[in-house]
Amino acid sequence: MAEDLVIEINNLTKYFPITSGLFFQKKVAEVRAVDGVSFAIHRGETLGLVGESGCGKTTIGKCILQLYRATSGEVIFEGKNLCELTENQLRPLRRKLQVIFQDPYDSLNPRFTAADIIGEPLQINSDIRGRDFDARIAELLDIVGLSPYMADRYPHEFSGGQRQRLGVARALALQPEFIVCDEPLSALDVSIQAQIINLLDDLQDKFGIAYLFISHDLSVVRHISDRVGVMYLGKMMELAQRDEIYKSPLHPYTQALLSAVPIPDPAVEAKRSVIVLKGEVPSPINPPSGCVFHPRCPKAFDACPKVVPLLEDAGSGHRVACLLYKTSWP
Amino acid sequence: MSTLLDVRNLVTRFYTQDGVVKAVNGVSFTVNKGETVALVGESGCGKSVTALSILRLIAQPPGKVISGEALLDGTNLLKLSTEEIRKIRGAHISMIFQEPMSSLNPVLTIGRQMTEQLELHRNMGHEEALTEAINLLKLVGIPQADRRLKDYPHHFSGGMRQRVMIAMAISCKPQLVIADEPTTAVDVTIQSQLLELIRGITDEMGMSLILITHNLGVVARYARRVYVMYAGMVVEHGVALEVYHHPFHPYTSGLLASVPRLDEPRKSRLAPIEGQPPDMMCPPEGCSFQPRCRYALPKCITDKPGLLEIAPGHFSACWVASSREMPWQKT
Repeated sequence: MAEDLVIEINNLTKYFPITSGLFFQKKVAEVRAVDGVSFAIHRGETLGLVGESGCGKTTIGKCILQLYRATSGEVIFEGKNLCELTENQLRPLRRKLQVIFQDPYDSLNPRFTAADIIGEPLQINSDIRGRDFDARIAELLDIVGLSPYMADRYPHEFSGGQRQRLGVARALALQPEFIVCDEPLSALDVSIQAQIINLLDDLQDKFGIAYLFISHDLSVVRHISDRVGVMYLGKMMELAQRDEIYKSPLHPYTQALLSAVPIPDPAVEAKRSVIVLKGEVPSPINPPSGCVFHPRCPKAFDACPKVVPLLEDAGSGHRVACLLYKTSWP
Repeated sequence: MSTLLDVRNLVTRFYTQDGVVKAVNGVSFTVNKGETVALVGESGCGKSVTALSILRLIAQPPGKVISGEALLDGTNLLKLSTEEIRKIRGAHISMIFQEPMSSLNPVLTIGRQMTEQLELHRNMGHEEALTEAINLLKLVGIPQADRRLKDYPHHFSGGMRQRVMIAMAISCKPQLVIADEPTTAVDVTIQSQLLELIRGITDEMGMSLILITHNLGVVARYARRVYVMYAGMVVEHGVALEVYHHPFHPYTSGLLASVPRLDEPRKSRLAPIEGQPPDMMCPPEGCSFQPRCRYALPKCITDKPGLLEIAPGHFSACWVASSREMPWQKT
């Protein structure tokens, strides 16, 4: 399987400094956005990343794409550690790593036509010009389910779903191997979401692209992902095959998340019990000691505030960071 | 159960530079005493405008409630003077808004904002109102309530701010609370905290609740009856269980099919509703869902279907359903 790896992340950490003082900026604290996360994504695979806002899932996406430079850790792509490369060295690799953003209203330049938006990556990173260029734009529009005659329209002339299709077309322009999908559905209506999900599915089958699919919607993540990682306060709490994690979630946080998702069927809901977590996500500036989830955990015991749980295999590749499943104590 | 709110044929339009937006086109619904009713639909379907019209909170211009009635215990809210409707808002009907940060005043303390309506609607003295505000904050689960009265909205987290909104909404013991997407701005675990809180309080105090949401799961969990809205109209309504299990409108059926469900085996493909909602400046002449409908008849293009009682208490505005044939229920 090793040759199938598209991207590998080892011990990725990103701290944002908090400074004070006007001239002599002094670091007074840091936000621990991502704290020692490791995972790998295979060719044609989708890894879903779920968690509540502020858990660091978007930061991971940006660190992989080197839009943020990681504090420490490695991002390995094609045998190179991206974190150590300079901007110039990164440029040829960037075309293979693309991103689809959350908000199709903010991520498209309002003064660009659809053709400009999709064509910009081609202008910068390829030598396709002239008639071939126009043909490629038409082809891309067609792939994402838009009509080629829409090439001269501006973003405001498209609906939300169509705009997100433009975002997808732009990401596809350079035939990437890996796309970070950062909450690509959350600005869309339910009936439109399904259209985009099916589109992403089809493109993966056709081009073998690997996705990192970042979302807070657990039902959508189950639909689209092959494997799922659950994050909380900058840490990976559980990482397993999709069916495994949804059928038998091990971490108490995953269990609570799953029970919080209402199911669109009144008969099912009437019989379901909800695990309501107490309190809110603590500040990542000063995270709790031991397991970061212990202040809200319904199953916390005396060791939890003292020992930091590691992400360990709890059988058949199902990895979980929780002391409940720790077998060997030092 | 007796009827608390009876809305009939509400029509609201917005007169903009680009044209007339027909936001609400003849919406009728009822809310019984102590009942939770959901208005569900996608963005732009007119569910929020319906609620704002009832409370007369539509900015005029550009908006205008053209016609209709909203009877609260027999009083038509749409005919009241500005003074009279002010006595209703907060005291009889209150509202929990979607974005607590933009609906709380950022330059006033929480204490000031909470006591204002207690003094106004419940004729309390200042000291008495402060004590009541502390009790209300405790009721909605805000720790150290007495100290937090002097805090400003930005001192609170999103979930806590929404708790303050809930405390304010119930402070004058209204008969009806309208919650407009109360949990869209917060995370899933906070969403269940807040909805359980709203349900607990309204149940205990016997208040009616209108839950406005686009989340079909939330409706299934909390509402007894549901009104499905599309393009400024109610296209189907009935008891939630019936509507979910036997949808009488292809739009409802399509919506339910397009969301993946955690309790069912994973489908290899989702079934989206093709196309997109109509432009409300020029909605289609016949059935407004017809351009996206797989089952449309020739009649659907020309004639607008009205709500028809197809099973007892279960209404649908669809020409196909009116013939008692539901081809979408078979798949």
